Amino acid sequence: MPLFRLLARRAVFGLILVFVVSSGAVLLTRVAPGSVVADLVASGASQETIARERARLGLDRPLLEQYVTWLSHAVRLDFGESLMFGRPVGELVRQRAANTALLAVAALAFATLVGIPLGVVSGSRRRGVVPAIIRAASLVCLSLPPLITSLVFVFIAARTGWFPIGGMTSIEAASPGWFSWLRDVAWHLPIPAFALALPLAAVLERLQSQATGETLGEPYMLATIARGVPRSRLVWRDGFKASIRPVASIYGLFVGGLLSGSFVVEIVTSWPGLGRLMFDALRARDLYLVAGCATVGSIFLAAGGLLSDVALAFADPRMRGEDRS
Amino acid sequence: MVRRSLRIFIVLLAICIVALVAGALRILQPDAFAPASRIPSGGSLVSSIRGVPRSFNRYVAPDSAVETITFLTQSRLVRINRATMETEPMLAESWTGSKDNLTYTVKLRRGVKFSDGVPFTSADVVFSFRAIYDEKIGSSIGDSLHVEGKPLEVSALDENTVSIRFPSAFGPGLRVLDNLPIYPRHLLEQSVNDGTFAKAWGVTTPPAKIAGLGPFMLREYQAGQRLVFERNPYYWRKDASGARLPYLDRVTLEIVADQNAEVLRLQSGQIDCIQSEVRPEDYATLKQTASTGRVRLYDLGPGLDADSFWFNLRNDAKIPGARRAWLQHVELRRAIAEAVDRTRFADTVFFGAAVPVFGPVSPANKIWFDPQVPTPAFDRARAASRLAAIGLKNKDRDGMLLDATGQPAQFTLITQKGNTALERGAAVIRDELRTIGLAVDVVPLDVLAVVDRLEKGDFEALYFRFLTSDVDPALSMDFWRSSGNAHVWNRGQPQPATEWERRVDELMARQASTIDLAERKRLFGEVQRVFADQLPILYFAAPRVYVVTNARVLNATPALLRPMVLWSADTLAVSKTPGTSP
Amino acid sequence: MRRTGLILMAVVVGLAAAAPLLSPHDPGRTYDNYLHAPPTRLHLRDADGRWDRPFFHPLRLADRLESRYEEDSSRKVHLTWFSRGVLVAEEDERVGLWLPLGADSFGRDLLARILYGARVSLGVALLAVLGSLLIGMAVGGAAGYFGGALDEVLMRLAEFVVVLPTVYLVLTLRAVLPLVLAPAQIFALMVGIFMLVGWPYVARGVRGIVAVERHRDYAEAARAAGAGRARILFRHLLPATLGHLGIQATLLLPAFILAEATLSFVGVGFSDPTPTWGTMLHDAANVSTLAQFPWMLAPAVGIFTVVLAVNLVVQGSGRVPVSTAGR
Repeated sequence: MPLFRLLARRAVFGLILVFVVSSGAVLLTRVAPGSVVADLVASGASQETIARERARLGLDRPLLEQYVTWLSHAVRLDFGESLMFGRPVGELVRQRAANTALLAVAALAFATLVGIPLGVVSGSRRRGVVPAIIRAASLVCLSLPPLITSLVFVFIAARTGWFPIGGMTSIEAASPGWFSWLRDVAWHLPIPAFALALPLAAVLERLQSQATGETLGEPYMLATIARGVPRSRLVWRDGFKASIRPVASIYGLFVGGLLSGSFVVEIVTSWPGLGRLMFDALRARDLYLVAGCATVGSIFLAAGGLLSDVALAFADPRMRGEDRS
Repeated sequence: MVRRSLRIFIVLLAICIVALVAGALRILQPDAFAPASRIPSGGSLVSSIRGVPRSFNRYVAPDSAVETITFLTQSRLVRINRATMETEPMLAESWTGSKDNLTYTVKLRRGVKFSDGVPFTSADVVFSFRAIYDEKIGSSIGDSLHVEGKPLEVSALDENTVSIRFPSAFGPGLRVLDNLPIYPRHLLEQSVNDGTFAKAWGVTTPPAKIAGLGPFMLREYQAGQRLVFERNPYYWRKDASGARLPYLDRVTLEIVADQNAEVLRLQSGQIDCIQSEVRPEDYATLKQTASTGRVRLYDLGPGLDADSFWFNLRNDAKIPGARRAWLQHVELRRAIAEAVDRTRFADTVFFGAAVPVFGPVSPANKIWFDPQVPTPAFDRARAASRLAAIGLKNKDRDGMLLDATGQPAQFTLITQKGNTALERGAAVIRDELRTIGLAVDVVPLDVLAVVDRLEKGDFEALYFRFLTSDVDPALSMDFWRSSGNAHVWNRGQPQPATEWERRVDELMARQASTIDLAERKRLFGEVQRVFADQLPILYFAAPRVYVVTNARVLNATPALLRPMVLWSADTLAVSKTPGTSP
Repeated sequence: MRRTGLILMAVVVGLAAAAPLLSPHDPGRTYDNYLHAPPTRLHLRDADGRWDRPFFHPLRLADRLESRYEEDSSRKVHLTWFSRGVLVAEEDERVGLWLPLGADSFGRDLLARILYGARVSLGVALLAVLGSLLIGMAVGGAAGYFGGALDEVLMRLAEFVVVLPTVYLVLTLRAVLPLVLAPAQIFALMVGIFMLVGWPYVARGVRGIVAVERHRDYAEAARAAGAGRARILFRHLLPATLGHLGIQATLLLPAFILAEATLSFVGVGFSDPTPTWGTMLHDAANVSTLAQFPWMLAPAVGIFTVVLAVNLVVQGSGRVPVSTAGR
């Protein structure tokens, strides 16, 4: 079955991706100058202490040996201990990855809720004030990368105090229950999520607009109008259903962009996510943590690509990706 | 008729007796006439810390996060009161020194228990010293507890008395014990015997297995996010009116990696205090917030730490011979000291909130600062003539100096990226030196890379800031001694490389082994004079220290040393009504 | 729309090129009494209500630590044209400074820094685009022309790089490389990294076009006429890719500008005192600064304008952009 072969191929590609990315991260970090025990030097520890700490962390062994040791543990899903934090990498990465996933999903949801309906509206009518406004707004938001949107939103939040800036949760004096924790996160989520979602919403709007326009121009649509079906129903029911499939199929491709965008947003709004963790680990030359983050990141990517291919295969076969040009 | 008046009389008498008894009972109550303590008890406090603890074991992990945690959960025999800089008895109730000032007989407090209820005895003190001196750990605290290379001899005289013997005369005396928190023998002795002490009390240790003599105990650690501490019911300290300390029920330490985020959270009231000083660029915003009454700003005056600028003076530095002639020359340093306008420096880097500083000891260190030490005047002409004397007199087209071989007089200055005060300071230094024709390349590096360079001796000039740990210079011998690891311009010399360093070694050794304070100050004044003459490190300005807390924090005694507010966590309190102060 | 975009792009490039002419002050010059100064307000009418040439009141420092300023209404400083080699400037710098966009935390003119910064940011991006196009053409052309194993290997490699998130890749590469000393070296390094990341996008398209065009009549005819491989490739096949190259160039440009801004923003790109849009945003990103001195966000406008211009061009060409969010 062609679908099965496609999926298998994608899965293999995904595995290779994960392997190459995580290995690359380990090797790159290892050869980079600078070392994680430098803060010991700063605090005036003796040479013996530094040497001891180095040996303890395994930094004095040759590169190949370190890599092979890491690999043999990694395939058993043991990613070692973070040199910076002193805790198992898996635990740290899992939590941060969940936070990033939350942010990404929230951004995607918001972008969908705003972008898709607006796209239908602007795509179903060529002329008119409302579609023109939507198109213009889309263009503006497309040109606002997450770096800028997050800075602007943080500025607005700082001035107005409507939303908290920074972090994912406030510090609760009393012990938090599930519900209040949820409410707290929900209050901190809008700023980073909006910042990430705005350009994405614009992209979705543009895509949906084009898809709607194309679908509505199909002969069978004209035939349906001729039959007397009211236009709004046509647009929102039949047209929407037909146009959503090609748009939905490319959602998987957003994963890369979301990871990139979320990195900047995490830095500006101090959202405790994967991107921030990886960056800090890179700068601290924390070998195992970098590898862990890179692995999880590439798993996200691979999964996104896989989902995208599956969706594409189910969608209109003519739109089998702009990748295969 | 008589019966009726008798009854009335008995009733009245009964009332009087009841009133008298009630009054008497009230008088007999202990706090009846003591002034009602205005410091409310209870409540919780949230502070931020910047780093993630590597371990809960202060003996092996030197980072600032562990330091703060140790202030909260452990006690020392003797501590340095960071507000007054005087030694205070803590677990040690009193002590007497022997005639030769070498042996101290220390009486420990009685009836003290660890946070898990186990009684504290002299055996814990002896054990702590044993652990700290254990070679397998190689603790930096252990290094600081050696006098001229020899450890202290500690033995228990009885359950509540300890004898501490110094191998030779030591000026600071028991002050050095501020470095050593006393650890529980019953929990850690096994690991010292096994040789696994270095791994003991790691960050994955369940809080129930950690005990201490401090005001709080660890209740929970959410990895990388926060630490929650609860009141230690067995804490031994009481306040002046006899009420049990600590006042607070709970302390939470939020791990906030970013200074921006810290300030934000402080302003929005999410955290109550931060453990470092206010950055100059945040001052304006915080002053505004203070005027609304939400936060309180403390002005502690000039700080103890000035930014340090030094050249690599090592013999094996990777600098070609021709450049080394002028780069490592003392006249270059003297010229720079005269060429930098320190007032402008203070105005630009710290927005005016700094005092000019010329030597390693800040005027804020009132005990040890010697005001008689000569300071260079701001004189660019004189600086230029000094440079000419070492061969830098020809100029190129842009007016920049050339050395004797025709190469531009240029050097690279490495500083810490991300530290705005250092980055700004380096930029100002660059601009100031350009006016006398020296070209400076400022290279901001990650702090790890900076320290790497320092360790390897791979730099030309460095601009950094050291945090003092105590005002007494004898407790930072690693910096003063030519063989020391923190003797940053030329670390770890087997023999003093220069005559003046030999002299400083000698003076510091004498200063450390003298007990008489006046003599010690005189000797140290000499050291400052040598320093001012040879200028191995150049200093420009010491920033004023501002500490900020939420207005609900009461009874805070902010200090110039870190942790600025939590060093006295047991006397902190919070007001019951949010946002007001009594 | 396409035209508007191109015009906008040309304006930005023109402004950047004319930076020395348009900046009233040197971008590296620090003015000690103007730290965090707000944008200077221009007046056309003086206190008596009379019309006058554009002028402003000089700023006086009210509180240094708070960076608070007051206007000194008793004095006026007029603007002059074509003085000191600059289009518009204040008539006497010593009396008062004209800071149209305010000053940063060192008292440097933000307008000058944005204009000069545009040179660096655009310079890096344009050079990187050029490099990506060249490498992409070479790789894609070879893959499409020779086919077979070479094609497979090269295209797998290209696909692999495309899948990775740009920012992560660029960041990792930069973060593990050692420090570089001079801005010129950082410039070269960034161009290099961007080229490494950008070529696959070009190569895929080029490869596809070349692979198809190879079998066309005119190419076959050229082969039959005895033309060598290189000649066919350069004269016949690659010119067919020009359209694709143009589109990729417009898509890569904003991505690279953003990448430079992001790298400098997190501190691994350019650093002080080099003026680039990224380093300026880095200065502005301190939240206290942002709340108190929002004019420091001005470079964001620059980035927005460039990306908008590119999007207008792309929109006008009828393709749907998957620009800032999709890479």
